[in-house]
Amino acid sequence: MPTTIRLAHRLSIAATAVLVLLGAFRPASAVPVFARKYQTSCQTCHVAFPKLNPFGEAFRLNGYRMPAETEDQVKETPMSLGSEAYKKTWPAMVYPGSIPGHVPIAINIKMADVYSSEFDGTSASVTKNDFQFPQEVNLFTAGTLGEKFGFLAELTFEQGEGVSIERAQFTANSVGGPEHAVNFKVGMFAPDLADGFQEMWLMTNNGIDSMFSYNPIGVRGGTSLAEEGGGISIPSNVQAIEFYGVAKHRFFYTVGLTNGLGAVPTDLLTSNPHATGTDPHSSKDWYARFDYKFGGMGLDGDTTGKSLPPENWRENSVRVGLLGYHGSGDDVAFAVSDELGSPFDVVDRSYDRYGLYVSWLWRDLNVFGVYLHGKDALTVTDSTTLAENRIDPTYDSWFVQADYVIRPPFQVSLRYEDLSPGDPTAKAIRLGNANFTYLMLANIKLMLEYQRDLEESKNYNVAAVLRLAF
Amino acid sequence: MKTLLFGTLILVVAAPVVAGDIHGKVSCKGTRDCANAVVYVDTIAGKTFPAPQAHEKINQQNLVFDPHVLPVLVGTTVDFLNSDTVQHNVFSPDACAEKFNLGTWPKGQVRSYTFKKDCVATLLCKVHAEMEAYVVAVPTPYYAVTKPDGSFKIADVPDGAYTVKVWHPKLKAASKPLTVAGPTEAAFEIAK
Repeated sequence: MPTTIRLAHRLSIAATAVLVLLGAFRPASAVPVFARKYQTSCQTCHVAFPKLNPFGEAFRLNGYRMPAETEDQVKETPMSLGSEAYKKTWPAMVYPGSIPGHVPIAINIKMADVYSSEFDGTSASVTKNDFQFPQEVNLFTAGTLGEKFGFLAELTFEQGEGVSIERAQFTANSVGGPEHAVNFKVGMFAPDLADGFQEMWLMTNNGIDSMFSYNPIGVRGGTSLAEEGGGISIPSNVQAIEFYGVAKHRFFYTVGLTNGLGAVPTDLLTSNPHATGTDPHSSKDWYARFDYKFGGMGLDGDTTGKSLPPENWRENSVRVGLLGYHGSGDDVAFAVSDELGSPFDVVDRSYDRYGLYVSWLWRDLNVFGVYLHGKDALTVTDSTTLAENRIDPTYDSWFVQADYVIRPPFQVSLRYEDLSPGDPTAKAIRLGNANFTYLMLANIKLMLEYQRDLEESKNYNVAAVLRLAF
Repeated sequence: MKTLLFGTLILVVAAPVVAGDIHGKVSCKGTRDCANAVVYVDTIAGKTFPAPQAHEKINQQNLVFDPHVLPVLVGTTVDFLNSDTVQHNVFSPDACAEKFNLGTWPKGQVRSYTFKKDCVATLLCKVHAEMEAYVVAVPTPYYAVTKPDGSFKIADVPDGAYTVKVWHPKLKAASKPLTVAGPTEAAFEIAK
């Protein structure tokens, strides 16, 4: 591997570590729109928002509807856009639908008081007592449109980042076959590829997984791209078309086609002769995942033959999943400089990510984690000499997290993250996270969070976080 | 005292004979309430009932059909009155009601249709897609519509053995044999 790439790797990882410490990844959120619609507590679906309990997971996979939903469960009567009997007249007349009875708006607010230390290799800069009030505000709208369709959108204000559309999705449920077997989603959303480890965060300030941000390209490459949807990483958010569903109550699948690389900043693009163009969306990425759940509530909420405890966060179950992501960045050349300022371009001709997901739920304890293997096919071109070099770097990333419900208002969480690039000279990422959550009310929680770079003790942060949803 | 006893006797003797009835409750599973179920006595072998001369009425007011569910004896003519300032239409997509379409008409006017056979006729308005109502044309004059709590009472049912049916706009229909002897209670449970 050329020196430049090794340097780039080191810098990339350092940049990733900084992003990790800043908590750049935005986790899933709670959507109280549904609490209103069903006149039910957040605790019906969340262990402590946004972490979902088994019922909440089934609710989400059912297109944000109750399993085997009946009219009397919906307390906020939807407004008819056509009598149900109009179904008899289709296609002579428009198929009937409905919209929520009230404008379905919900808000999440997160305040954080952060103490952080960042070490850049030579000196540490310490931020003491930074009042990030608010650190983040999320405006949600979500609901169902008739029997089959639904929507969810999220507008996020984040300190230092401004306002952005985080999600905007349209869903169609049970479009074919048995109930819940074939569902369809289009828009910008968190792909179900990451289901179970993106939707399950208890920690919200340090709710980042290094595998979402790692970018094998170089210093200025994919860490931000991954956040924008698609990109050379395992994406946390995508612009995509996805099919997903639950079969036989226990088997979950998802298959998605994404827009490829996210919005690539133009300053990252070069006139590299090896790139065939500058369109990051000319070739699409795809992903797939297959899970099976042993024990506990079915993934569609089925409880036939099961005797589940009234403590709805408890069950004895194991869920195992295989996931994969494939993409091509043939049309995009990334401009990268090494530590000495020497420029080079990198084209990621193809990238593959394969992973294994396991979640074990036993009474009050939930231990879950993901192992991910990444492989890239890079073309590296010296911008001065145009000398070309092809390399196929790999990396391995994994995390394991343990969440424990002491009592419903009091919960703790520990997570270890590990990322090891195939290049042994590049620095690995090892992070430890700890969280104590006090659920003051079902929709207000106070957390103490600590994250530490286990490779560099001067990289750490401590945060007190107040989060509310209404 | 004698006068009081005599008077009481006179009152008892002079009171009208209480006909049989079918009363009871329908339990609905999966709906917000149990209003608008139609409970009726099905065809009675060897017995026919002449079509009534009097018309029934469904009002279209404030963009709603009122009543939402109207049971009638087969052969009954129903008048559809438009009480709104906007034009309304009434049509039915159901073959048992000949897929009738009465056109559109303004406030104060009435158009009519005669329900000639057993039928659950869905009534829709092409002008206002959310409007919906049902005319349930049944073979006997013994019928009732449930209240929100599911209770019902069919009055003046002669003693005898019948099949009693229940129909609901959103739930599966049900039926059961019932012997009526004076006031008779019946309970039904219907679900999706």
